[in-house]
Formats: sequence, structure tokens, C-alpha cells
Amino acid sequence: MSLLQLTTYIAAVFFLVVVILKTVKIARMPVHLRWDLYPIPHEKGKAAYGGSYFENSSWWEKPRLVSRAGELREMVVEIFSLRGVFRNNRSLWWFSYPFHIGLYCLVALIVSLKIPVVLHWTGMPVGGQAPGFLSLALQYAAHAFAAAGWTLTLIGGLGLLAMRLFKRDLRSYSRPGDYINLILLIAVSGAGFIAWVTVDRDSHHLRDLAHSLISFLPAPTTTPAATACLVWLTDILLLYFPFTHMTHFIGKFFTYHKVRWEDTPNRPGSLIEKKIQQAADNPVGWSAPHIDPLSTWTEASGGGKVPDGEK
Amino acid sequence: MAKSKPTINDFRKRAGQLVDIDDMHPLPLPPPFDKPGSEPQIKPLPEDGRRKIETDLDGVSAVRFARPETVDQKRELVGKFFSGLAKLFDPRSNWTFLEPLFLTMEYCVRCQTCSAACPIFIESGKQEIYRPSFRAEILRRLYRKYVKRGRTLPDNLTEKEIDAAWTMIARLMESSYRCTICRRCAQACPIGADNGLVTRELRKIFSQEMGIAPRALHQDGSVQQLEIGSSTGMPPAAFRDNVSFLEDEVADRTGMQFHWPIDKQGAEILLIHNAGEYLAWPENPMAFAIILEKAGIDYTLSSELAAYDAVNYGVWYDDIQFARVAVRHAEIARRLGVKKIVIGECGHAHKALMVIADRILTGDLNIPRESYLTLLRDIVLSSRLPLDPSRNDDITVTLHDPCNMVRLMGIVQPQREILKAVCNNFREMTPHGVDNFCCGGGSGFAIMQDGNFPDWRHVVSSRAKMRQILNVFQDIIGPEHKKYVCAPCSNCKGAIRDMFAAYRLFETSNILYGGLVELIVNAMTDIEKPFIDWQWH
Ligand code: SF4
Ligand code: SF4
Repeated sequence: MSLLQLTTYIAAVFFLVVVILKTVKIARMPVHLRWDLYPIPHEKGKAAYGGSYFENSSWWEKPRLVSRAGELREMVVEIFSLRGVFRNNRSLWWFSYPFHIGLYCLVALIVSLKIPVVLHWTGMPVGGQAPGFLSLALQYAAHAFAAAGWTLTLIGGLGLLAMRLFKRDLRSYSRPGDYINLILLIAVSGAGFIAWVTVDRDSHHLRDLAHSLISFLPAPTTTPAATACLVWLTDILLLYFPFTHMTHFIGKFFTYHKVRWEDTPNRPGSLIEKKIQQAADNPVGWSAPHIDPLSTWTEASGGGKVPDGEK
Repeated sequence: MAKSKPTINDFRKRAGQLVDIDDMHPLPLPPPFDKPGSEPQIKPLPEDGRRKIETDLDGVSAVRFARPETVDQKRELVGKFFSGLAKLFDPRSNWTFLEPLFLTMEYCVRCQTCSAACPIFIESGKQEIYRPSFRAEILRRLYRKYVKRGRTLPDNLTEKEIDAAWTMIARLMESSYRCTICRRCAQACPIGADNGLVTRELRKIFSQEMGIAPRALHQDGSVQQLEIGSSTGMPPAAFRDNVSFLEDEVADRTGMQFHWPIDKQGAEILLIHNAGEYLAWPENPMAFAIILEKAGIDYTLSSELAAYDAVNYGVWYDDIQFARVAVRHAEIARRLGVKKIVIGECGHAHKALMVIADRILTGDLNIPRESYLTLLRDIVLSSRLPLDPSRNDDITVTLHDPCNMVRLMGIVQPQREILKAVCNNFREMTPHGVDNFCCGGGSGFAIMQDGNFPDWRHVVSSRAKMRQILNVFQDIIGPEHKKYVCAPCSNCKGAIRDMFAAYRLFETSNILYGGLVELIVNAMTDIEKPFIDWQWH
């Protein structure tokens, strides 16, 4: 196994493990109180204007109309247009948009490089050695993804870095980590761009490397220095990435699906009810004068007891 | 001389008042407030007051917290703040909001997309300290240092260090009352981070750990509601007297004589109004009583402690007080054996009982809860009331969308369906619906009346609403046209009332405000005299 392969395996496994652990950590957090924010795109027939099932009288007696397609549509539009930034922060969008589209293209590039290998295992002759329609299509796709990916990420990354450096409202809130993130991403896309322009126009070096990595075969001996440099920089990025807010794709899943759009009503006997009851058995812990820190949440909230008061 | 714009670091380091009131340059308003000196100003607090209470953020005081005099007092407060900070990220002490808070702390990319959505930041002339991400970033830095990296505050801090720490905490305390928790910023955030939530979580440290909250919200608010029966200070006997007085008033104004049901066991509906209505806008519960009587609805009011007041101020600053009031409301409904609770014209009460308390009320306390808007929409559209919208023809009506009902609950259309059925001259503000602007009184601001805080509210937090109102009526802004801002929420009405008074809007432009039910009764053909009394009150 070459050094290049070894570092890439380590970085990839490390990246996956940390990302999974982070996801699990959030998924295992206790149930929280509802904190909906409208519009919620799965509200069937109401999402367009931000309506909810609370607009129906005796809503609990009626079937809940949920449109997963509506939710999916919203996600696709947001992911591929960055509509939120477009509407509310247009100057940033001009760089954030190419940057993100560039990243998507790079992910697509990696996938398109690996598909032939996977299909080869299944017995389909689509490798570079046996050109067929699918193989050609994948090669052209890889060309397009490489061209768009390296160029857009580089332009977007440089633009974002310039904005962070020169726009006062961005600069004064930026931490060193924000710059390191961008510089690393610019370094990777810059290396990718250079390798693509100089030695790997058809991404065949990357494809061979991908092949060797997923087939556990020896690394190709002909990997040029520019490509090796790109891979090592990517390895560094993979090791660093999970500890930064660049993993906001994980956070965004939870902020949208588990907070803003989480409008599942708590029905008697439901799992949500069980989770609430468990959480309410915890001690409150807070110690302001109006709170007994040792009481449970149920006790602290009065447990349903109503004082007589003045009648 | 104007100080340079404060940065995040100045929040901790710069001594004295961070921003001077005189350095604020809010955005100009449309006519008739486009001339210099035509709008109210924020009056500085007297020197003596500023010496005694914490005003080091911007010279305004919402909390009115007395400055600690000794270093030991400061040390104790600083210690409590940091123990509260730890509890905010503890899954047992803060299971209620840990996940959304954690996500906001971890994943904000500091892109400032939220800033343009915040009416307070924009209308203040982009005061840095009011930027949505400003206070969030301060909390984030504390979180990273003391929670994530597990650093503890050294025991041997010098007097100077304690002073600096307390100054920062005191500013943070006031800063948590410069945001209405309208959550427009969260709606704009591409990541889904929520700086409105951060405001509320900060308030929780102060209330739940340090026992610090504005008097109007805590002692005079949720404590009074639980102990005396209402945040208005109205005990049950006074509530019953009020109802009987209003029964007579309805008879005088409409000729209708009937008793309002109180504590009726087994009624279909428990109706809970914001008790402020009985005292400040009695025509509102009167209109409700008329509509429900005419429509033959089986309902009851309750005279039990807290159950004749739908408010739940805990929703703005304290999870425990919130849970106490929500559980009380539900328990009384359970004992009355009603099938559902209907909440009157009060936005935060809607969100409190219908949305947030949905994850507090379990078992037989989980009684179905519904908005009055759906009930009234069904009544109005069912032709059970004799309605003629032309009876409202002398008024041009616009609708204010309370954030709690609309952006935070998705109740958008029922109020519009009602309005279109009862008045012909209805026009929408821009923006409206889920994109609306807060009245400026959100998160408790409407009831916080001490010192120069109301001035700040009129000039800064209500300014976007003021602008919308002036714009929507700009072509008929003269006093010869009657204009009505329909604000179907008690707190919004309170904020709008105070803002109109400060700008003398009724006198100069003949714009009145009021609820939705009053417009319905005003359109009823079997009530002889107009129900809306076109006077300033
Ligand atoms: S809260 Fe959202 S919009 Fe605001 S700075 Fe953070 S990521 Fe950007
Ligand atoms: S919640 Fe509203 S007032 Fe508070 S920061 Fe966000 S937009 Fe501004």
C-alpha cells in the first residue's frame, strides 16, 4: 500500500467516523419543546402561504395532511439555488452559490469516477478499458464535473475569502477558524484546478487512484505530483473538516427537520408523550429563588395541583 | 463625541456605556413624521438613575437591575451566571431547548444573512449591538470556552477582572431585552440557526439561575398570575364583578340581556381571554360574548386562579414559570370537563398553550386546544350571524399579523376570511402573513413600562410596524379618512396603543386600532348602534 493510499484511507475513515458520531450525538439529544417556524413545506395545501393544521377547527379530529413531496421540493430548491441567501444576502450569494455548486460538482465527480469500478465488480464492462455508452457518458460527466467543480469552488472560495476580509460585518464576526476553513478549501480547489489543467484533463489519474482505493489494489505508479498534492490536501481537509462548522449539512438537517418543521402533535399514548414524561422526571437543577433545584420538572410545574385561592 | 461602533470585543472590554442614545440614527419615517423633530425621542435616564441601575449597554434599562455595590456581590453574580451557563447546556436542566440551542451554537457560519431580516437592527440604523448575531456570538464564545472546552472561572479573579466580567454580564442581561423573539432572523437563516431562541435562552440564565427578570414579567407577571389569579392583579372576585359589569354594559349598548357562563361544568369549550382585555379593552370580551351567544355556542369562562387569564409570560423568559402556568390552565380545563380550550385574542397565549405546551401536557392534561380564529371563522362563514360588511364601509381596515399566531403557528387565513366577510375596505400591509413585522411589543416588551424603555420601544422596536401602518394608509393619511389597524392580539394592541399615543397618530391621522371581534359585531345588522366607538381609548 502506498503512502498516498494509506493517508487517504485514514482520512476518509476518520471523516466518516467523526461525522457519524456527531450525527448520533445530536440525534440522541432529549426531546425538546416545540419551536415551529412557518412556512412548513409539508403542510399540504397550506405551505405556499405558510399555513398549518392549526387553521382547521378541531384539528385533532381530522387526518393530518402531510406532503413529503412538498418538503422534498423545498429541500431541492434550497440546496440547488441557496434561495435563502439569494433573498436575504444577495452580495454573499454571488460567491456562496458558485462555491456550493462547485462542491456538489466535486462530489458528483468522485461518484462518477467510482461508478465504473463498482459496476465492473457487478460484471458490467464499463471500465476505461471497455468503452461503451455508459462508460463514455460517465467520462463526459466526469469532464464536466471536474471543469465546473474545480473552477466554481475556486472562484467562490476566493470571493468568500475576500468578502470575509473586506466586509466589516463579516470580518468582525470571523474567527481564525473561519479563514482556515476557506484557505484550506481554496488550497484543495486550487490544487485540483492546477492538476486538472496541467496533467489530468480527463481525470484519469484520479479515476485510477479511486479504482485502487476502492478495490484495495496497489496505487498506480504514474500518479503525477500535482494529483498527489491534491489528494494530500484533500486528506488534510477530511481530517479537519468534521471539527468545523463546515459540517453544517448535518446541523441543517436537524435545524430544519427536527426544529423548524417539526410540528408533530403530541398524541396521548404516543412515543413523544413517553419521551416527555421521561424528560420531566429529571431534576430541574436551576436554583433561582422561585425554583427548588432538586424537584423534578413534573413537581416544579405543579404536577396539576391547583391551589384554592380566593373564591 | 460619537464613540466608534462597538465590536464584539468591546462588549467585554470597553468601559462605561457602550452606545449613546444620541448616536442612534433610526431610519427616517414616511409622512407625517418625515420632518425633523416630528417624532418622539428616547429620553436619557437621569444621571442618578444611571448611577444606580445597569444601563451600560445603551443607556436604556429594561430589567432595572440595581448595580451591585461591592466586589463580593459582583463575584457572586458572576459565579451564578457561569453556573447558569453550564445548566443551559445540561440535558437534564435544559432538555426543553437544548437541541435547538446546541445547533445554533455549533452551526452558525457567521454569514450575517439574518441581519437584513431583523427589524430592530435595520430600523435602528444598523446599530451593531442590535444585530441578531451579536448577542448570539457572545454566548457562542462563552459556550466554546467554558462549556465545550470545559474551562472554569478561576477562583482568584482580581477586582478588575470581576468588574469586567460583571460589566459584560450586565450588558448581556440588557441585550437579551433588545430582541422581540419575533424569529424573522431565524426564518432568513440558511442554516436554520435561531438567534431569537438565543435571546430567550439568555433570559433563562438570568431568571432561572440568578433570579433576575423584569418585574413586569416575573413578580407582577407570572408570579402574580399563579398567586392572585392574573398578571393584571385581578383576583377571582374582581373578575366575576367585571363580568357582571360587562353584562350590563352589553345590555346598554346592544339591548341584549344574557349571563356570561362562568365555571359551567361540562361545557363544550373553556374560553380563556387575556385578562388585560377585561380592563383595557372591555369591548373585546363583550364582542366575544355577543358573538358566541348569538351563535349558540356551549362555552364557559373560568373564575379559577389563573384560568381567566390566558397569558403565560414564562414563554418569554422562564421554562419553569411557563410550565406552571400551562399546567394550571390544562388542569382547570380537565376539572371542568370541557372538550377543548379556546384561546381568545392573545398571540403569545396561543403559542404557549397550543404549540410549546404541547410537549409539556401529557396524559389527561393533554386537552385539545384551539384558536378562537378557527371557531369564529366557522361561525362567520356559516351565516349564523346576520352580517353586513357595508356597516364597516366608513372605515379602511388593515391587518396586523401577530408573530406568535402567524410566523410561529401558521394561522394565516382564518383572520383574513373573517375580515373579508365583515368589511369591504380591507388592505394588506407589506410584508404580511408569515413575513410580517412584529408590533415591537413582542417577548414582553408591550407590558414593560418602566423608565425610558417604552421610548426605546416606540423609536426602535415598533418602528417597522409604524412604517408599515403609515405606508399602507399613505394615500388616505389625512384625518378626514377613518382608518383601523386590526390587531387580533392583546399584547400587540398594547404596543400599538402606546406607539399611537407617542406619535399622536389618532389625533393627526385618524388611525384607530382594535381587535377583530369588534369588527364582526360592528357588521351585525341586528345591533342598532355601531359597536366600535370611534374615540381614542
Ligand atoms: S444565524 Fe444564520 S444567518 Fe445569521 S450569521 Fe449565523 S448562519 Fe448566518
Ligand atoms: S428575533 Fe426578531 S428582533 Fe430578535 S434578533 Fe431576530 S429578527 Fe431581530
